[in-house]
Amino acid sequence: MRLKITLAALLIGGAAPAAAHPHMFVDTGVEVIFDNQGRATALRITWIYDDLTSLGILSDRGMDEDFDGVLTPEELAALSGFDMQWDAGFDGDTYALQAAAPLALSGPSDWTASYSEAKLSSTHLRRFTAPVVIASQPLVVQTYDPSYYVAYAIVAQTVLTDGPACTAETFAPDRAAADAILQASISEMAGGGDAEGDFPAIGAAYADEVRITCVAPS
Amino acid sequence: MRRTLLILGLAVAASLAVLWLTGGYAALQAWVLAAQREAQSTLASAVRAIKTGQPGAWLGLLTICFSYGVLHAAGPGHGKMLIGGYGIGRRVPMLALSSIALAASLVQAGVAVAVVYAGVAVLGWTRKQTEGVATDIMAPAGMLAIAGVGLWLMWRGYAGLRRNWASDAGARLEHGHDHHNHGKESGEHVHAPHVHAPHVHDAHCGHAHGPSLDQVTNLTGWRDTAALIAGIAMRPCSGALFLLILTWQLGIGVAGIAGTFAMGVGTALVTIGVALLAVWAREGALASLPMNRVARALPLFEMTAGALVAALALSLLGQSL
Repeated sequence: MRLKITLAALLIGGAAPAAAHPHMFVDTGVEVIFDNQGRATALRITWIYDDLTSLGILSDRGMDEDFDGVLTPEELAALSGFDMQWDAGFDGDTYALQAAAPLALSGPSDWTASYSEAKLSSTHLRRFTAPVVIASQPLVVQTYDPSYYVAYAIVAQTVLTDGPACTAETFAPDRAAADAILQASISEMAGGGDAEGDFPAIGAAYADEVRITCVAPS
Repeated sequence: MRRTLLILGLAVAASLAVLWLTGGYAALQAWVLAAQREAQSTLASAVRAIKTGQPGAWLGLLTICFSYGVLHAAGPGHGKMLIGGYGIGRRVPMLALSSIALAASLVQAGVAVAVVYAGVAVLGWTRKQTEGVATDIMAPAGMLAIAGVGLWLMWRGYAGLRRNWASDAGARLEHGHDHHNHGKESGEHVHAPHVHAPHVHDAHCGHAHGPSLDQVTNLTGWRDTAALIAGIAMRPCSGALFLLILTWQLGIGVAGIAGTFAMGVGTALVTIGVALLAVWAREGALASLPMNRVARALPLFEMTAGALVAALALSLLGQSL
């Protein structure tokens, strides 16, 4: 009987992060843009695609076929917005939260695309539906793909534009803690919890995140 | 000695499970992720090297594809779930299960090649359409096949349990002679198996209705092998599809096909490891039981492993739809 329990736990624990191997790696950068009252109004997200993904995207378009790493101005212009045609249901893999409550973001706008060192990159703007006052509660920005097909890593130092009284710190996921949350949620599911609703939270537990704190204006 | 060695298998599997559950793999996961990322970048360089005709490019591509296969099989996946579950549930020999694991990986590579060349080359699909077919049609079909194997294991385990119960009932009734306090009722029952058993036996054995027991076992074995291979192979690896489409577009399709099979060999290395561990753990569990309990435990193993495989496959299928 003990064997069976162990076996069950092993199989369920092992299979829960279903797509546990990502096929795209995206280095991510976050810029927080503030208004003149010190409220956060928008995020500019930078995505730098891995070599192989970049090679595939360019090869789909028949660009840089000599691999010299240089695109013509025409090619660059044609490339603009290459990753901005979002399918319905794709929310951009960027999540903003304050006090654990999600903050609404607009769709992408003001995008750019560039290519250097065999890597494609793009940036886009996501506006907060309402300006965010960061005082007692930090602003948290997470980047993750709930299905884990794409592995996002926040590599660049977060840029705070016009937010001089603020600081940003990047946190890598605590994998051991995330595993513990995963196990706990599996136990909950066994007790009849809502598996569907629980899963995004699990993805978030494995996400890189930036926490922005500001000194309240006195 | 042999018994100790076998029981050790159970201990190894159990320790790995405990390590997994307590988050002991966290460091390993982080390492695998970093290695996958590195492999992705090396693979891009290898493709460029072949396209530009650099010396040693072929060996480089095959090596990185093999590593890519190993790394991508290092996480939890459907093939390991199926091979592991089957290896624990059925008393299948180590070599047979390992061969199935290898064959399944190679067929999986072949399926990826077939999908890309039928889709992209013949029907003119885009990358997105091809990947859509793989994830929306083939992956659920593969999961259904896996759930089918699970249900099949459950059914056979249940049939085995019933046989055990039937012989239990017979045995208990034969012992009924000793239980004088049960009086007449048990006395009546005593005669039942003696009267009926020969009839049943004759009815089955005397009837010349086809295959012998050996043939049935062989047939089941062949069907199981096909179902296991299909369950794994029907779901082509995204990395292989990506490589095949990319190399087709760049006009170096043969390199992509060779690389895909190298990935398959890499994947097989890991699933064979799972097959060996599953057989070792199962024999260890059986060796830890008293001899007369083994026959009784087997159907339970089979049913439990089958139920787990079916439940997991169906829940994954539910998530993907």
